[in-house]
Amino acid sequence: MTAVIMDGIVLGLQFGILGVGLTLVYGLGGVLNLAHGQMAVAGAMVISRLTDGGMGTFLAVAIGIVAVGLLGMVIDLTLMKAVYGEEGEGRTLLGLLLMLGVGFIIDGVLEWRYPIEALTLRVAGDPIDILGVSMRRGSLVASAIILLVGALLVAFFRLTTFGRATRSVIQDENGARLVGVNPSVVRTSIFALSGILGGIVAVTRAMTTPVGSTDGIELTIFALIVAVVGGLGSVSGAFLAGILLGIVSTVSAFYIGSYITTIILLVVCAVTIVIRPSGLLGVRS
Amino acid sequence: MSEPLLKLDGLCAGYLGQDVVHDVSLSVAEGEAVAVIGSNGAGKTTMLRAVCGLMPPSRGSVYFDGTDIAGDKAHRVSRSGVVYVPAERHLFPQMSVKENLILGAYPKRPPSSQLDQVFDLFPRLKERESQHAGTMSGGEQQMLAVGRALMAAPRVLMLDEPTTGLSPLLASEAYNALAELRNAGLTILVAEQQVPLALGLADRGYVLDHGRIGLTGTADDLRNDPGVRKAYLGV
Repeated sequence: MTAVIMDGIVLGLQFGILGVGLTLVYGLGGVLNLAHGQMAVAGAMVISRLTDGGMGTFLAVAIGIVAVGLLGMVIDLTLMKAVYGEEGEGRTLLGLLLMLGVGFIIDGVLEWRYPIEALTLRVAGDPIDILGVSMRRGSLVASAIILLVGALLVAFFRLTTFGRATRSVIQDENGARLVGVNPSVVRTSIFALSGILGGIVAVTRAMTTPVGSTDGIELTIFALIVAVVGGLGSVSGAFLAGILLGIVSTVSAFYIGSYITTIILLVVCAVTIVIRPSGLLGVRS
Repeated sequence: MSEPLLKLDGLCAGYLGQDVVHDVSLSVAEGEAVAVIGSNGAGKTTMLRAVCGLMPPSRGSVYFDGTDIAGDKAHRVSRSGVVYVPAERHLFPQMSVKENLILGAYPKRPPSSQLDQVFDLFPRLKERESQHAGTMSGGEQQMLAVGRALMAAPRVLMLDEPTTGLSPLLASEAYNALAELRNAGLTILVAEQQVPLALGLADRGYVLDHGRIGLTGTADDLRNDPGVRKAYLGV
């Protein structure tokens, strides 16, 4: 049982950071990035192609992560301009549809060009015992990276001026404008950050399981579930929900069967919406 | 007379192509407190929103320190020194009082001496320093909204109905704080329907009626004007 829960935490940390990327962009501009997982997978494919071509792993990983960040920035500066011109429901709907389209395009291109490509990042070394459970190095390194990134994110949002400005736009956009924050700059930067987080998800996931070229939609759905359960717009909520759902996922896979885990996750999501519509730690009512 | 610090010239503004504010011209000199009085729906909020950049004016100019800032984005107007305190306050509900104040100085990181100045004016905020803004009472939120605006070191402070949702006692306390700021030399433009309070603070006033400036004069002139007395003072 301990082993199952430990695996759940490893998976949950990945879920968490996946959800954070989605929730930030939604909280800031009302855009539900339905291409989040596909963007992450695109980063994985960049890394995979570069390493196949003989490039060193670290450099390839860095380029792959930056590439997803740039993709996010470009999407924000082009497609999303039209979205931010809209208000309320129109904005949400247009953003959602455009990003759905972007997701289909990335998915289609990857399936067409690299149908059987998958990224695996092997972390050498023997398993390490933690609480009597033998954990693979890959899982530990992946989790350590995510915890570090999580800590950096918390420090960024709590302690830096720009991090505060980001939270101000999430909490009250007009209030943010009145104190001198330019929401467009914040949104573009955070869309890029969200892409970088997507790239990190792809990399850490590849340390535990192969990331295939067509896994994007599945990742997007996980991100969506995590963000909704955690509360759209809440970073700590996404992390909390990620870990909870990771444990739910591995426990149900172990005791019932892996075929049913996605269904169970969706049920958890639905129940959350009914009981607590704003999510565990949601900031929007 | 020297050039006014803030001057609205033929300002028109409205929603969906329908102007609510028509051809408003007014001026505020440096160090002066000016009140725009008018009933609910007279266009006071729309006028201020058009000045501060939360909505673009449909016509006209807004000169601040000689430069036309009409149509500038709100964050630019705020950074240039015209800082607006809306009636709904627009605080950051899930941030502490202190964080709200720190953000007021954005993009600068304010020295603690600047925070202390605000705490001197509103000792209550010091007591509530680490409380979330969203959990405070209306009066405290109003103090925080003014305090946050002061953190930007404004050259003109614009307030929309600072008494919204306040009891008569708290309302007059809010105006006492504004009077202190005026006495310290801050330039203030306030829109208000609580006419006695506003005229008590202001050197001069304008009456906004159906989106147009009807009457203007010193605070005393307006207080003694029969029309104003009848419409807004109930005597």
